[in-house]
Amino acid sequence: MATKAMSATAAQAKDVTLSESALQVAARITSLRDFLEFLAEHGQCITWPEAVMPEPDIRNIAVAAGRDAMNGPAIIFNDIKGYPGKSMVLGVHGSFTNLALLLGHPKGTTIKELFYDIISRWGADKPLLKRIAADKAPVHENRIDANFNLYDVLPLYRINEYDGGFYIGKANVVSRDPHDPDNFGKQNVGIYRIQPQGKEIFTLLSVPAHDMGRMIIAAERDDKPLKIAVMLGNHPAMCMFAATPIGYEESEFAYASQMMGAPLRLTESGNGMDILADTEMVIEAELIHGSRQYEGPFGEFPGSYSGVRMAPQFRVTGISHRNNPIFENIYIGKGWTEHDTLIGLNTSAPIYAKLKEDFPEVEAVNALYQHGLTGIISVKNRFAGFAKSVAMRALGTPHGLMYLKNLIMVDDDVDPFDLNQVMWALSTRTRADDIIVVPNMPMIIIDPAAEVPGKGHRLIIDATSFMPPDKVGADAKIVTPPSGPKIDELAKIIQALQQQGGQS
Amino acid sequence: MSFCPRCQSEQDACRVEHEGRDAQDQLVWTVFYCTRCSFTWRDSEPEESIVYAKRDPFSRILMDKKYPVVMPPPSRD
Repeated sequence: MATKAMSATAAQAKDVTLSESALQVAARITSLRDFLEFLAEHGQCITWPEAVMPEPDIRNIAVAAGRDAMNGPAIIFNDIKGYPGKSMVLGVHGSFTNLALLLGHPKGTTIKELFYDIISRWGADKPLLKRIAADKAPVHENRIDANFNLYDVLPLYRINEYDGGFYIGKANVVSRDPHDPDNFGKQNVGIYRIQPQGKEIFTLLSVPAHDMGRMIIAAERDDKPLKIAVMLGNHPAMCMFAATPIGYEESEFAYASQMMGAPLRLTESGNGMDILADTEMVIEAELIHGSRQYEGPFGEFPGSYSGVRMAPQFRVTGISHRNNPIFENIYIGKGWTEHDTLIGLNTSAPIYAKLKEDFPEVEAVNALYQHGLTGIISVKNRFAGFAKSVAMRALGTPHGLMYLKNLIMVDDDVDPFDLNQVMWALSTRTRADDIIVVPNMPMIIIDPAAEVPGKGHRLIIDATSFMPPDKVGADAKIVTPPSGPKIDELAKIIQALQQQGGQS
Repeated sequence: MSFCPRCQSEQDACRVEHEGRDAQDQLVWTVFYCTRCSFTWRDSEPEESIVYAKRDPFSRILMDKKYPVVMPPPSRD
């Protein structure tokens, strides 16, 4: 499940000028509801026309939607059998076109263009936060203070057939450092998988490397209370950027607003957390010290089930929600899924930013695949073996430390987001002895390729061109077809003509 | 007679969490929770998910097995 990484990716403070269209979109969208309306105007949000059973219908529809990673729509369900009057939505971040629209781009924007847009926003240093009084915040339109039942207030369902329960997979969870609860920067917002364990109890899976894990450990060790606020149905920028690896003392609210270029409206939850004023629902809860419960299995982003573990439990203490709240969830499992689209570019960007500090020759990073278990890095090769050194550095970036398992290094004229080009590089540039296996490295515990959970081998494939003093392949003269913005534009014209039936 | 689809606990270890009803208040399904293995299920799900014999053996739970503890709580001894 998407999570916040362990250590800082120090962004360089800078002014960021967004395009007019990006600013217009940012100004218009203040909530999930706004975004769904906006997507619908562009044909990127549909309402499912028939009644569905929680299982297996919702799962089946989500998997079918995942087949179109570029243009799949968000899907709203207003008729879920057994849940009359309740609504839910899947696939809000399920396609790159939906992400493009959020960032102010037209349909047809390429993944590479989105990557460079996010890079251009990276390091923005102007938090845009607006305070809303709790009694004016839409999220508090309805309040539940007792007799909680998560299976009643939310249209919960089993995401994958062997999951241990009905998971909440796309919540933004707000928590405060138990030792420094007044520090806004140390307030963490992350995405963690949540398994309801009865009407008012749930487990939340984190690990010590996550900010939440650190807070749970500190709270239990020093007997401090740990309160959290689980936000469901959020501003799309919050979901998109809350999983980006930023520093422990950096605020995800500030970061998301900076990246979006428009204010996020904050208010206070009933238990004192900062929350989005326009979120659909917030579940307030408190850690049950020393309590662990069976958690899992859960179909995770590597495409396999994570096993059963004993995980920390939280008790619900209050619920607020808007009128007619929309439950936003995600399909996660064997790719391609919404999870891959949601987190891919925000996995790629911080790796690029870190590498760029030491190696300006790095051109782009594609870590879209399973949260960066495979990464493709394009780099201007300086001399023989140079790309391997860059790869080694990538393994030491905050995200690379645990996730980057397979690295493919390609030249700067190879678009790492175009797998046909990457395969050309692998086919023609790679020699068998240009492959390095780095044994017994740290690895995420849910990677099924781990030797033991948490430890495994890394692979580096150098598919860059041969450089002096290397003599092998020096006689190969590479064909240089025309490339650049002009060719990109021509490709779009061809695509547009095709969509118009071949007529100009 | 076993009841929980995952650990085969008896019915008294399992409790009703919610009954889903339609707009005419007719029962559509019931959600159960096993207090022994913490499995949640709905009685309207496909059999592969809620019938013990049809569930993939990997998804069963062994009550005498020690499962990994996430961030073990500190000992208070």
